[in-house]
Amino acid sequence: MSLKPYSKLPELNTANVLLVENEEEFQKRLSEAIVRQENSVNVTVRLARCLPLPVENAEGRPRIDLVVFIVHLRSEQSLLSTEASLKHLDSGYFLGKVCFLVTGARSGTVSYERLASIKRTAASLNCPLLMTEDKTTEGVHTAAQRVLNILKVSAGLVPMASGLYLSTLIRCSMPTDSDWQNQD
Amino acid sequence: MPRKSNLSRLDMNSSSENDSSNSGRSDRSLRVAENNRKKSEAEDPFVLALKYFSQVEEGTPWKGNDVVERHMAVVERVALSQGLPPEAISVLLDFAMSLRMGAALCVRVLKILVPASVVPQEAVIKGVSWLCVGKLPMNAQTMFIRWVLTVFDLIDSKDHLRAIYGFIFSFVTEDNLCPYICHLLYLLTRKESIRHYRVRKLLDLQSKMGRQPFLMHLLALYKVFCPELVTLSFPSKMKSGFRNHNSTWKVALSAVQKKNKAEVFSDIQLTVSVKKQPTSKKRKFKGHLMVPAMSSVPRIGTSNNKAFPLEQLRTFSQLLENLHRIELPAQMGSMLGSPLALHYMDCVRDDSAFLRLNFWLGHSLHEEFLFCRDSDSEDMTEAVRFLNTLISTQCFLQEGFSSTEVFLYKFLRVWDGALLRPQILGLLSDIPVVPSSRIKDLLFEPLMQLFFTSSLYFKCSVIECLNSMLLKWLTWHSVYALEDELDISVTSHTPLNMTLSGLMDSVVQLVQFVGRIATVGLQLEGYHPLLLSFTLDFYETVCDMYIKYNLPLVLMPPAGVFYPFLLATDPITVDRLCHIMYRYRTNLISAKDQDQQTEKAFHISRKTYREFNQYVVSIVSCLWNSRVFLAGMGIELSDEVLAQSKVPEYWTTFSLIHHPAFMGYAVDFHQKCWPERKKLDLNSIRTGKRWDWYVEFLFSEGFQGLKEFVESSLNRRASDREAGATAVG
Amino acid sequence: MDDSVKQLLRQIIRKIPSSKLESTLTKWDHLSKRQFRSLDFTQPKWLFCENLLSLCEENDLTVKQVTELDMLYHIEHPNQGTWYACQLVDAEEETLSSELVHFRESFKKHLKYLISHIAVKTKKNDDGSIWIRIAWGDNFTRPNHLKPSYVVHHLQTPYVFVSGLTAKYKTLLHQALVLSTRYRSITDVHLSGRCLSALRDLLMRQYKQVFPTKYPRPLQERNPLPSTPNIENEHMKHTENRLQMAAEVFGDGALPKLETAVYKLETKYRDNGNEMLSGREEPFRGEVRFTSSNLLESLKSCVSSGIACAPVTPLLSSITQKGRNYFVITDKGPGISRPPGPKI
Repeated sequence: MSLKPYSKLPELNTANVLLVENEEEFQKRLSEAIVRQENSVNVTVRLARCLPLPVENAEGRPRIDLVVFIVHLRSEQSLLSTEASLKHLDSGYFLGKVCFLVTGARSGTVSYERLASIKRTAASLNCPLLMTEDKTTEGVHTAAQRVLNILKVSAGLVPMASGLYLSTLIRCSMPTDSDWQNQD
Repeated sequence: MPRKSNLSRLDMNSSSENDSSNSGRSDRSLRVAENNRKKSEAEDPFVLALKYFSQVEEGTPWKGNDVVERHMAVVERVALSQGLPPEAISVLLDFAMSLRMGAALCVRVLKILVPASVVPQEAVIKGVSWLCVGKLPMNAQTMFIRWVLTVFDLIDSKDHLRAIYGFIFSFVTEDNLCPYICHLLYLLTRKESIRHYRVRKLLDLQSKMGRQPFLMHLLALYKVFCPELVTLSFPSKMKSGFRNHNSTWKVALSAVQKKNKAEVFSDIQLTVSVKKQPTSKKRKFKGHLMVPAMSSVPRIGTSNNKAFPLEQLRTFSQLLENLHRIELPAQMGSMLGSPLALHYMDCVRDDSAFLRLNFWLGHSLHEEFLFCRDSDSEDMTEAVRFLNTLISTQCFLQEGFSSTEVFLYKFLRVWDGALLRPQILGLLSDIPVVPSSRIKDLLFEPLMQLFFTSSLYFKCSVIECLNSMLLKWLTWHSVYALEDELDISVTSHTPLNMTLSGLMDSVVQLVQFVGRIATVGLQLEGYHPLLLSFTLDFYETVCDMYIKYNLPLVLMPPAGVFYPFLLATDPITVDRLCHIMYRYRTNLISAKDQDQQTEKAFHISRKTYREFNQYVVSIVSCLWNSRVFLAGMGIELSDEVLAQSKVPEYWTTFSLIHHPAFMGYAVDFHQKCWPERKKLDLNSIRTGKRWDWYVEFLFSEGFQGLKEFVESSLNRRASDREAGATAVG
Repeated sequence: MDDSVKQLLRQIIRKIPSSKLESTLTKWDHLSKRQFRSLDFTQPKWLFCENLLSLCEENDLTVKQVTELDMLYHIEHPNQGTWYACQLVDAEEETLSSELVHFRESFKKHLKYLISHIAVKTKKNDDGSIWIRIAWGDNFTRPNHLKPSYVVHHLQTPYVFVSGLTAKYKTLLHQALVLSTRYRSITDVHLSGRCLSALRDLLMRQYKQVFPTKYPRPLQERNPLPSTPNIENEHMKHTENRLQMAAEVFGDGALPKLETAVYKLETKYRDNGNEMLSGREEPFRGEVRFTSSNLLESLKSCVSSGIACAPVTPLLSSITQKGRNYFVITDKGPGISRPPGPKI
């Protein structure tokens, strides 16, 4: 059963974000940072390891305004799990309610191929892709803030802006080979 | 001058004895002291160890040899705690390279060869000659060359070393040594050492090994000196070239140098600032970003015609005297920290120096920072200090390094928008003009993603950064543009050759980009006054491009930026908008005059005039004529919608009296006019002479922009309070 | 003191880190108070060693007394070199529990009977284990004190731990052990590691174990998640399950420290895509080696964080359940994959 964006009614002054990550450590820190940061809007964070979500929670689950896929470039598994989870998302979400969060892109040990692959995925789905420094508290704080910025728009809390509008501005572009390895 | 005496233990003893003799002891006690000294010298384990190593016979077994073990222990201790004096270096290097006690001990000795002060050139020469004997195992060979590279700056003079350039060159054919040999040659190369057959050899190697970065860099240097010999073309931005060589000694060397410097230089005022080096660190696990200390060693005055090492410069006059025989340090990075070295770079315009500095910088930024193996460390102080030094260097030279540029383009793609924000944006504002064909990919796309997802403060700092980038481009243009013709192909060592139209295209792209992101950004942030203010800053630069910077270009802000300014809630924003419009007017008029005087000057499109006039009409009708939202006034709304708002006389709501920004002044003015009146009736200001007084009152409150605008763009019809806008075009 | 004793003392001192020298020498107690005070522990080691040697020479210490120092140091710091675990099997008489004096005497006797030139030294440790230091020689050479073997045996248990033993003397030692403990035989249990106490704990199950229950404790008790109502975990049940499973297999709390686990594969190569290898008769030999500074913790966190799939494969769970870390995996019959209960 795929997750649908409009099957439930929105609540007043509320935004719900779903963080999908096949490990749990970063997810937990990020969710805490998000909740701690936002005061004006009632933000709830739901954590999941993968999609589809368990059916038994479907009743109590609010409408999800933004799905964030966390991808750790240092692990191949993280990439595969994300690709698999994407299949269980209703196409309605790809109109501005999905974003990718990538960690470890700055590290020298990560293969360029993985980054290119997730960029290709994000670009083909017209989704934004944010880089994150997951190791530092400041990095987590920044990531939380950026997710909140997108969330507020996609939950309709920013006047005259919609998730689709924002994501056309910030969507990921297809990676070119000259991006990275070639300095020439 | 560094005293080399304090580094060797024997000299230290003797000096203390001399001191005591001055204090008035008898001859006898002096003799006793002398004897004691001799005795202690004979017993000093370090001296004994050195004696042993210089005299030990070839073929002495080392396994289970406790004597050699004990001596090694002494030498290791001295080496790692205070460094080895020059004579010890000579002895030990000779011992190691001659393989008198086998290869294992050779490597072990090389590992601890940490000089306290100077490395005698002759010792290195001797080492090279042992290398030529060809008995050394490969790992010892590479280790020796790596050691020479590490201590290169400490070698007391390099003339003899240059004399055996050919011998050293012959090792390039050794596959394992080649990268290090190329590096060493890179450091040693003079114009006279470049020969046709050497170039041919390197080209041969290149065809065999592929385009290896170390070969490329050496060849590039050859080309700088002798362009006629090397016909190869190099990409303007090369991969970072030489392998890391100093990992074995880095920690020990910096510790010893730091310690010794503290002793030696405590009383000398340094103009060459010596960077404080962090203590021990494992390179593998942590990015190393520091400006290497400019190593200061050899004695001045040993000979007059010798090259003058840059690190010895202390004063500006010294620089002037020795300008013709300055020798660059091996670690080019050390130049970043030294203002004198930068002066030298700037006035000599030495291509090889720039090439080497660029190479070093690219390597440090790329390997040690962008691709740092382990980015866990919260401690960014090293990186902050490094980047700040880089920023101030670029500021000093008034141009960015191409390697910084390459680094930034890559970094923007993996940036989270917070890491080292001030430094990164500071560097970004320094980049030279980006060709308009690539500006979107390199700059706009990554910036846009960061801009729209990040906080208000980030948005402001991006606009600020782009503003100062634009300012630098414009300044660059106004400095380099030749006055008689508008061709500005610059022949400095900036690799960029840019035509006027190329520059204009880039500027147009940049201004339009800021217009776009500011429009949407303002909308997302609910027209925050802070963001409005930074956007105004940007347009204050844009409106004066023609008069101030002589760039024949006038670009109007988009409506999405203009109207938020006009309808802003604070009077400063409206005032600054008026000032900007006044400057646009001045620019347009002067461009028009120019247009009429000289035929070949640039042509401003009708569209620009039309836009400008439209905006002026909008301001006038909104502030003076109370005709906002009416047909033909810029923002139009249908009557039904406006009626629904139930605002009476909605067309007056943004007049100078009712405009939310000025209403406070209007109330104030009302109070002053009719102090006794209880009921507030702002509309009474509109009648008679009061309106003029009110406007005067606003001018007196400091709204200079408003005054400029009124005086230039408004033709007052005396009959009524209607005003007409003075059109340009 | 002859030269070999001096050399032995030098070697021992070289082995002991400078920071531990003082405490070890205090325990040793073969120097007079005055002598001990004259020692300068800040000296470089070779110099210190010379001074110590001259003191020992004054006291005219014997090999026995010098080896005592080595033994002391080893008992204090047992985590050096690799320890191998053995198990005595088939007890002869349940009732006759061996006591220390008896074991010591009979072990020495039996070993000396088997091989003439050896030096055996035993010492009872505070935790009830008996430490044996054996310097081996053969018929023509004197015992080599530079390369001794250490044997640790807990009386009342069938486990023996050995380090520094060469294959040459293995059977001799085993025989002597069997004879002196009234068991019928001894086997290698294929467990080895640097940390002696970990091996012991693993074999004697002295770590905190968790047993499968129908009603697992709620997760909050063990792992308090963020308590804000605004964060909710969709996969809470799974997480709970995983943690429970990981604890059941590997235990709770601090786990014994193992460094490696080795799996020797002697199975047929199965891969339909690769005909070169899969059609062969003889097994495809390979070795899989897991290493970590604390292997069990690593494996546990792999399971509890969900990196490894649950349920845990028997291959990994047998490390704790069978108390071993060396496995050979073979095919049982042609074509049939043997259930992965490892056998030797």
